[in-house]
Amino acid sequence: MLILAGTRKGLFLLREDGGWQVEGPFLKGWDVFHATVHDGTIHAAANSFVYGGTAQRSADMGQTWERSEGLGLPEEGGLKLEKTWHVEPGRAEGELWLGGAPGVLFRSTDGGDTWEPVKGLVEHPTREQWQPGAGGMCTHSIQLDPSDPQRLYVGISAAGVFRSDDGGETWAPKNKGTAADFLPEKYPELGQCVHKLLLHPARPERLWQQNHCGVYRSDDAGESWERLDGNGLPSDFGFPIALDPDDPDVAYVVPEEGAENRVTPDGRLGVYRTGDGGASWELASDGLPQPAWASIKREAMAFGRGGVYLGTQAGSVYALDTASGRWSEAARDLPEILSVEVS
Amino acid sequence: MVVVRLPSLLAEQAGGRNRFEVEAATVRDALRTLPIADLLFDESGQLRSLVNVYLDGTDVREREGLDTGLADGGELRVVAAIAGGYG
Repeated sequence: MLILAGTRKGLFLLREDGGWQVEGPFLKGWDVFHATVHDGTIHAAANSFVYGGTAQRSADMGQTWERSEGLGLPEEGGLKLEKTWHVEPGRAEGELWLGGAPGVLFRSTDGGDTWEPVKGLVEHPTREQWQPGAGGMCTHSIQLDPSDPQRLYVGISAAGVFRSDDGGETWAPKNKGTAADFLPEKYPELGQCVHKLLLHPARPERLWQQNHCGVYRSDDAGESWERLDGNGLPSDFGFPIALDPDDPDVAYVVPEEGAENRVTPDGRLGVYRTGDGGASWELASDGLPQPAWASIKREAMAFGRGGVYLGTQAGSVYALDTASGRWSEAARDLPEILSVEVS
Repeated sequence: MVVVRLPSLLAEQAGGRNRFEVEAATVRDALRTLPIADLLFDESGQLRSLVNVYLDGTDVREREGLDTGLADGGELRVVAAIAGGYG
């Protein structure tokens, strides 16, 4: 059991062996926006406010790192890579996807040695309409359909959800029914601020998203979205969402009070779980400190091995045993946690 | 031949080396030879805005920037700008 906790001050590895052991920090001095393990190699989206956005990998669980030196956008397009946000293992041998700002996507076919910008998205015909939000225009979600090797999705803050049915050559906005309360037109074709997008691996036409303006589920591969907040959720605002790969009707979200006060409502730290596809939600907070005015970043919750793992900006990692419904603390006093992954 | 010195974060990205001896005619050429050149320059070949480079103690922006010529025995020092508000 391994948790990768990307933080504002490097990467930490948490191993469970009777209790939790914390290793690190690795990538000292880097903001680790996201890290994941694929085929025994750690891949990290690591950023420096001085030296820019990078993709880094370690084949020895953090001891040594290699940076992909050629990562960048074509000069003629006029865009510059600002940050890297998310690494998603691909479906083919050696394939990886990397999302970044400003609303860009890269693909590697050699395990992260080299990265090619995905032109269909970088040069998307609607790009001029995309307006960056507070977090920049980040491609933070990359979801691959396990049943269709040509189909994939991205979620881009303040641009929306896009789907490709041809392996990334062309992309169509898929935001019908999702709100953009901050725009003059409430239901535009694009411009919605998706905060995190996930596909259910056992029912790949089912997608979930936590949005700036609501929690949504789609049962038709993003063609239409049903709004799911209310019914027990204290607010429509939040960042992360997690799914249970064994049950397409289960999802977890961490609502925050609202866009203007991004903290757990009334200091009530916990995750809200639905077991019925979003028709109802219940708070799971047993064992968590109360009250706790916490903020959870979009990548800082993950489901894995029968548990939900949550990292706070105050540097705590909590683990929910879904069988007992009880939370326990896996680590505390880490730097601000930006991402949590379970391996 | 000039000496280039790197701060610790860059040295770690350069395989642990914080000192390089390079043959180069300009500041740009010298920095381009480094294994961390991608961290110093953006896609358009500009030095990233918070990267400062000093030649024998003087900010190269006060000379001719990346085109500043190098003389044998010079020392280039790469320094991250002070950014106290970042945390």
